[in-house]
Amino acid sequence: MAAPLSRQKLLREWKLYFFIVPSLAMVLAFVYYPAASAIYHSFFEWAGGDTRHWIGLDNFTRAFHDKVLMGSFLTVSILVIFNLFQMIPSILLAVLIHRLRSDRWQFIYRVLLVIPMIVPGLVTLFIWKFFFDPSLGVLNSLLDATGMKDVLVSLDHVFGWGVFFANAPIAWLSQPALILPSLFIWGFPWIGVVGVLIFLAGLQSIGQDIYEAAELDGVGPFKKFLYIEFPLILTQMRLNLVLLIIGTVGGYGLQLELLDIYGGPGGRGMVPGLWMYNRAFFNGEFGYACAIGMILFAFILLLTFVNNRYVRVDK
Amino acid sequence: MSASPASVSSLRRDWSKHVVILFFILISLFPLYMMLEVSFKDNATFVRNPWLPTNPMSWHWENWSFAFHLIVPYIANTVFVAVTGTACSLFLAILGAYFFARHRLPFSGILWAGFLALMLMPSVVNITPLFMVLKSLKLLNTLWALVLVGVAAGQVFNIFVLRNFIEDLPRDLFEAAEMDGASHLQQVFTIVIPMSGPIIGTLAILSFLGMWNDFLLPLIVLRDQDLFTLGVGLIYLDGEYVKQWGQIMAAYFVASIPLLVLFFFTMRLFVRGLSAGALKG
Repeated sequence: MAAPLSRQKLLREWKLYFFIVPSLAMVLAFVYYPAASAIYHSFFEWAGGDTRHWIGLDNFTRAFHDKVLMGSFLTVSILVIFNLFQMIPSILLAVLIHRLRSDRWQFIYRVLLVIPMIVPGLVTLFIWKFFFDPSLGVLNSLLDATGMKDVLVSLDHVFGWGVFFANAPIAWLSQPALILPSLFIWGFPWIGVVGVLIFLAGLQSIGQDIYEAAELDGVGPFKKFLYIEFPLILTQMRLNLVLLIIGTVGGYGLQLELLDIYGGPGGRGMVPGLWMYNRAFFNGEFGYACAIGMILFAFILLLTFVNNRYVRVDK
Repeated sequence: MSASPASVSSLRRDWSKHVVILFFILISLFPLYMMLEVSFKDNATFVRNPWLPTNPMSWHWENWSFAFHLIVPYIANTVFVAVTGTACSLFLAILGAYFFARHRLPFSGILWAGFLALMLMPSVVNITPLFMVLKSLKLLNTLWALVLVGVAAGQVFNIFVLRNFIEDLPRDLFEAAEMDGASHLQQVFTIVIPMSGPIIGTLAILSFLGMWNDFLLPLIVLRDQDLFTLGVGLIYLDGEYVKQWGQIMAAYFVASIPLLVLFFFTMRLFVRGLSAGALKG
């Protein structure tokens, strides 16, 4: 930590302030000012021009009666629960890579793991959209080839979902009931490169000797995970979860590109961010969009708070 | 692969792990395979044989020339945004971090708290008013808008990491330089930048990736097709009615080439950079 300066030295060092000015100016102009403007405009009816009407809390009352918005918060909560499951393969992969005895293979797998990152995120999205294509897509061909489709169709008969039919291809992204399942399957096996690397960093402190000792004591692979690895990556799991949740709750790129600005058929894929975007840029209701942004911000803060409070990890 | 007895025996004992790991990794690489394989087919071939590569003699190279003509201008725009943005972002962040790390001047505590508070703010919330700010600055439909917003968005995290790093540099170096009459700017160029190569590289890759992959901001900022970055360009391509999958996949692959090249040259930094990305939380 740098020490405070004497008055005399301060007079000599004042030029140092110039070093922070550019950063500060950028942040003020493109982060703080927009944020303040969002708070301010959430109390106005504002179409983006110079005219605006003060309407007090009307945007907020409207938001709480907005069925689409409330539904979108439900959808995003479901997506957050999906996140919990989607984290499992990354943990499994990190643990397996870490348990390998050969450092060389550990490195090779790390590199192979990172390679998919070269594909722009948007391209991955579009490729999945292509996988979901009813007639040409990989997913339906795979289900047909493995006979899984017949299983789904017979399950449909039993439970009466009315979603899977023997004589028609599965309409992944165009049937309302299949939107959420599609958003779940999307990105299978959900290997988050960053996540795996975070877990690997957490596992670093476990040496091969610990595994060997555990093996001598006859500890099985699952118990090894439970008693050795799991306690050490708890912190990383929480961190990863926070990152995933913030990304999921605030994100709307996925829904915008896989579905459309209305969250797909029946609006089943509508999330708050997308509704905000929709209101602002397709309906010109900038004031209302700002209010949605505020509610979203509060929601994210609340989730972060809950996470810090109840998912506490004692180190 | 060397066939030393040790590595063979470790392979034998770990084979089940290798199988599971390879299963996951192959599925993750599958989109890449599909992209490459479909890019050489026309629609008719693709419908007949979606899975396997065709005979190289009958590859449809015209898909690739189409893709190059379409994507290269987008790549040029994106490279401009990502390179300028990354360079500016890091340079400003180094100066800012130096300010916080070297001396504790009056108000630096408040400024620091002000920067840290930004970490709580999810950037989506800002996108509506940000659009208005860019509009009033007459920056809509310019690449500079993307550069400036990218630079601003990267400041907090980069300053946070660099400050800790600069504080850990040996103090004697700065004192010696000051004895020799070096100004602060000279100290940044002769001490800080040379000594923080790896960390700067790591941060550079992270912010480069961030700007490279962004499509939400370009989508609302850019209107002219000449200015499209990869993100908007690909969305435009996706919107066409009759899809030539071969052309589209070739375009996707061409869009991935720049990062492929970057990856080959900076593999270690890349892997480390992504691990460091974890700090962002």
